[in-house]
Amino acid sequence: MKDRKSNEPTLPSRRRVLIGLGAAGGAFTGSLVAGAPAQADNESVTNAPVSDKTLERQPFYGLRQAGIVTPRPAAGMVASFDVLAKTPTDLVRMFQTLTEEIAFLTQGGEPPQLDPKLPPSDNGILGPVVTPDNLTITASVGASLFDERYGLKPYKPARLVRMASFRNDALEPSLCHGDLSLQFSSNTPDTNIHALRAIVKRLPDLLLLRWKQEGSVPPIPVKPGVPPGSARNFLGFRDGSANPSPHDANLMERIVWVQPDSDEPGWATHGTYQAVRIIRNFVERWDRTPLQEQQAIIGRHKATGAPMQGTTEHDLPDYTNDPEGKITPLDAHIRLANPRSHGSEANLILRRPFNYSNGVTKSGQLDQGLLFIAYQSDLEKGFITVQKRLEGEPLEEYIKPVGGGFFFTLPGVANERDFLGRTLLEAAGAAQPGN
Amino acid sequence: MTLRLPLMAAALAVVIGSLAQTARAAVAPMDLVGPVSEYKLYVSEKLQKLVADTKAFTDAVKAGDIEKAKALFAPARMSYEAIEPVAELFSDLDVSIDSRADDYEQGEQDPVFPGFHRIEYGLWAQNSAAGLGPVADKLMADVNELDKRIAELTFPPEKVVGGAAALMEEVAATKISGEEDRYSHTDLWDFQGNFDGSRKIFELFRPLVEKEDPAFVEKVEANFATLDKTLSKYKTGDGFETYDKLTDADRKVLAGAVNTLAEDLSQLRGKLGLN
Repeated sequence: MKDRKSNEPTLPSRRRVLIGLGAAGGAFTGSLVAGAPAQADNESVTNAPVSDKTLERQPFYGLRQAGIVTPRPAAGMVASFDVLAKTPTDLVRMFQTLTEEIAFLTQGGEPPQLDPKLPPSDNGILGPVVTPDNLTITASVGASLFDERYGLKPYKPARLVRMASFRNDALEPSLCHGDLSLQFSSNTPDTNIHALRAIVKRLPDLLLLRWKQEGSVPPIPVKPGVPPGSARNFLGFRDGSANPSPHDANLMERIVWVQPDSDEPGWATHGTYQAVRIIRNFVERWDRTPLQEQQAIIGRHKATGAPMQGTTEHDLPDYTNDPEGKITPLDAHIRLANPRSHGSEANLILRRPFNYSNGVTKSGQLDQGLLFIAYQSDLEKGFITVQKRLEGEPLEEYIKPVGGGFFFTLPGVANERDFLGRTLLEAAGAAQPGN
Repeated sequence: MTLRLPLMAAALAVVIGSLAQTARAAVAPMDLVGPVSEYKLYVSEKLQKLVADTKAFTDAVKAGDIEKAKALFAPARMSYEAIEPVAELFSDLDVSIDSRADDYEQGEQDPVFPGFHRIEYGLWAQNSAAGLGPVADKLMADVNELDKRIAELTFPPEKVVGGAAALMEEVAATKISGEEDRYSHTDLWDFQGNFDGSRKIFELFRPLVEKEDPAFVEKVEANFATLDKTLSKYKTGDGFETYDKLTDADRKVLAGAVNTLAEDLSQLRGKLGLN
């Protein structure tokens, strides 16, 4: 039996005092405990939960966009848009305005106060001062943006295609594709929602919301001396084991970032490909599956995330002594995804998913699953190859991809004079250098 | 004109009284009186047409003339949709005249489901006018009641001005997705009604805003022009194509213009110093 104390999250001391008062009989009067803080008299069931992380901030400007190798926080969202710009000039205006808005939202600050006879400039759900709360917003463009509308066709990234169905897919058109995807990630869902609403309100003539999916990952207690592990998904397994390390700069350059000497168009350097998949999990059925079978399907131990012949999540799977799959089945999810055979290092992808939980289906089952997001410098060698390898996996009984899309994540924004999409628009002649 | 003056004078007095506390330096309360009176005339004209059209429509329904009733349904609704924010001031009548099946626990089968959309369901989904007699009678009575109540109403200026944005919110929420007229798919008629009503209000107050913010006026006019141009592609004779004919591309153009108008027109009351 685990010692409960070690699992206790560290609470700010005020909260601890309030819990103490509760245990003493529930009467929140200041006179009960000598020197009790004044807040006890204001205790209400609707007091906001406290966080000491709202001022956490990720830089916006950089060679590459944030939100890719940035550590993934607890709350995420992907929102997809149709771009309504009628001309390349309007498209430039869209990107410039979007950049301005993202720069503000991710750094935080006070939105302008307007005459109360006007609608407020900010939706106010974070209060009168917008706190960054570790927010990153990552902008990526879909293949459809490179159609006849803006003359961008000759500049399309080489491997960017409209996501086609894989064999187990049941893609719903209303949940797929888009001209522009925005990935929001922060400490709390409300920060993401605040940002989405701000962007929608700012650009009604240039962006039309197409679909969105929010998600979360469960936090774990801080354990000194224990290396952090991947957050669990809704199958109860750690999700992201064996993810390439963001600290391995050479690896990131090789598998994530488009390089200056690649065969991609020059403007795409320092960008990456983004694969988004909304993957429904049949959780009731999964929860009725024997643990042994679950582990055989995934290829890892559920409790620890360790590979079948390992003891911790960080142990690498080793199939060299297991050619017939007696230890890790040949069709286990992790083995199909990455057989660790010669050459399979070319197919590594950087995953950064969230779990989603929507409503109830017509059959009375839970609509939950994985908001899968992966980044790679080559969409074909990366996600597409890996997904094709998974065709026919036993896990398919439990999952059904229903939405998402393929996008190209734009290079970073260097400074206040730069903007998202500038390199693409300059290459296409829609924006003049130095504007 | 002489007949209407006493009414206007009475309305004038009340309007000035309510504006006294909220006057903003740039727009004098007196300046709003003219446009509000003009708007009341517009509403009155629309109501006269609504009453006449609803009579013809409900007569056809009661006579069991399904084809005629179908042809009269959407045109009758246009007058209602043009003045919807004013009609909504009487929420009991708005519910009775214009609510949809979603608002009733048993949906289309709910015996309480009233008004235009109940009849729409009978005519299009069931291709029958059977049992619609009482619904038609009630609709006619409600429209007559609405006419009477609006004639007696003093139009609060902030409701009139706010109505321009409210009409665009209507479109943004239900017409643009084809949810309003889900059996007949005559949403584009409704859309035109909402659009006409919104534009009328804007035009009436435009001179007051143009002084302060000509760029704003230009932007709003440009978006109205876009709506007009796009919607008119779907005109047929004296009506419109059904909603399903609206291409995805055009739906997005309309959505963009409607959402932008909703944002911009939401500034109108503030720009005129109204609460």
